Amino acid sequence: MPRHRLLRTLTPYLYIAPAFAVTATFGLVSMGISLWASFQHYDTYAGASGFVGLDNYRRALTGDDSYFWLAMRHTVVYVLLSVAGVLATALPLAMLCRRARYQSLFRTLYFLPSITPGVVLALVFYHIFGIWGQLLDSAWTALPALALLGVWAAAGYNMVIFLAGLTDIPRFLYDAAEVDGAGRWQQFRHVTVPMLRNTLVFVTVMTIIGSFQVFTSVYIMTSGGPERSTEVIAYTIFLNAFGVAGQMGYASALAWLLFAAIFVFVVIQMRVFRSRRVYDE
Amino acid sequence: MMSRGRLASRLALALMVLGAVVMVYPYAYMVGSSIKSRREFAEDKAGIVPPRYQLGERLRHWRGEASALDWPGADWSAGRNYADAVRFGDIDRYLANSFIYATIITAVQLCLNVLAAYAFARMRFCGRELLFMLLLATMMIPPAVLLIPNFLVIRSLGLVDTVWGVILPGFAGAFGIFLLRQAFLNIPEDLEAAARIDGCGSLGILWHVILPLSKPALVTLGLFVFMGAWNMFEWPLVVLSNQDFYPLTVGLSLFRSQTGADWPRVFAASVMGALPLIAAFLLAQRYLVGGISLSGMK
Repeated sequence: MPRHRLLRTLTPYLYIAPAFAVTATFGLVSMGISLWASFQHYDTYAGASGFVGLDNYRRALTGDDSYFWLAMRHTVVYVLLSVAGVLATALPLAMLCRRARYQSLFRTLYFLPSITPGVVLALVFYHIFGIWGQLLDSAWTALPALALLGVWAAAGYNMVIFLAGLTDIPRFLYDAAEVDGAGRWQQFRHVTVPMLRNTLVFVTVMTIIGSFQVFTSVYIMTSGGPERSTEVIAYTIFLNAFGVAGQMGYASALAWLLFAAIFVFVVIQMRVFRSRRVYDE
Repeated sequence: MMSRGRLASRLALALMVLGAVVMVYPYAYMVGSSIKSRREFAEDKAGIVPPRYQLGERLRHWRGEASALDWPGADWSAGRNYADAVRFGDIDRYLANSFIYATIITAVQLCLNVLAAYAFARMRFCGRELLFMLLLATMMIPPAVLLIPNFLVIRSLGLVDTVWGVILPGFAGAFGIFLLRQAFLNIPEDLEAAARIDGCGSLGILWHVILPLSKPALVTLGLFVFMGAWNMFEWPLVVLSNQDFYPLTVGLSLFRSQTGADWPRVFAASVMGALPLIAAFLLAQRYLVGGISLSGMK
């Protein structure tokens, strides 16, 4: 029966259509619009008022009034602090957690920040950093303080991911290393780290992508201050698009530059990990 | 003497407890500050236990010396700030809004994702690989980059400052489809063949065979989506201007700027905003732990 057959051919598309329509509209179509807007002079209220070519990008990269490089510098510092902080806390915590009793209790407690709204965390740490000697009032300490909050909040989540990675390392590798006379540190260096390579890549990439977009804590705790010392790129984009400036075309160009920066960082990071790929298989 | 192994595990436990204190301290601080009176918060910003409950202050009061119990607001009840946050800050409305948004987004996203994931996992059709690649491509785009264009899309649909504008982009997600597809692929196809012989259509198979067998993946994804929806901040901040529609996150930020110095109230509101998710997490945790590792192991 041809009608029946037609229905059968169409079924998969009917299943996919609703989800695909949403993700395509707010993913693919959006990207197209963003690219288009970045080549326009686009006022938030008046709309697009003409093609300006690469002017928005030029303005962001070389303009006298541009805060792009300042914001990018702050963002990169924040990202580097976050990646270093997360790796320095999550992996050791995971290794400790495996040895300690009450593992599931610790897992739950360390996971709490991941299930707390960022706004709540920002409001609480606004005071905690105040108690610790006005960390948010000085241009030198405000950005590291924000990164500290980011690391504190992300440590538990990444610890759980590292725990899963550690569980997958076969026991016999450690036994073999011990037979060969490897000490604790050497076992860590030559068994744990190489075997965790995929998890390390995953955690680093996710931390890079996430921390490049930091916004909530900046918005709630510092509004980019003091003296613009915590103005990060996501905040600059927000201000330009939805703040007083209302320059969506310019902000879209900034967003694409942010995308490019994330891309470059992820690629560099992949290179770093690949070059160390000595022990694989 | 303790053996080396036991000593190591004791040491690990001690360090983990130390870490747990660091993790829990901000929460203790938040709860403690949320029951302080205004005066108590002004006098003792750093403390966790409000002065009027501190043993030393009680003792001094009992001895007839000047103490925190002589300050105005010494009869401040523990629930007072919570009641005030609801009364003056509309926190109850924001909570209800957040709950509605997160519930709708989770329900719709699970339905749409399940349908799409099932088609990608089990059906053969023209363009399957291409469509799946396109879907995965949307996962690579950072949300900060999508903020402006999504706003423009919502505006062209006339949905700015509406509930729909807030929830519509959350109705499906590539990550969820990917996760569910992986879960469905792990289910043996023989089971479906048996159901098909019994006269089940593909929706019937999905409902009676696939879904019951992928509960952990569904709970995990459901919780992740719910958490994401509950915690979203920048998107509703941009889309909404009518305070009646604010979710908790944006409402909290507004309440903080409205109340000025009355921080204990803001802390009370924060506690109310943090509790529902923690409760949901504890309930669903049994299923979740495997699920987190699932999302971590690509």
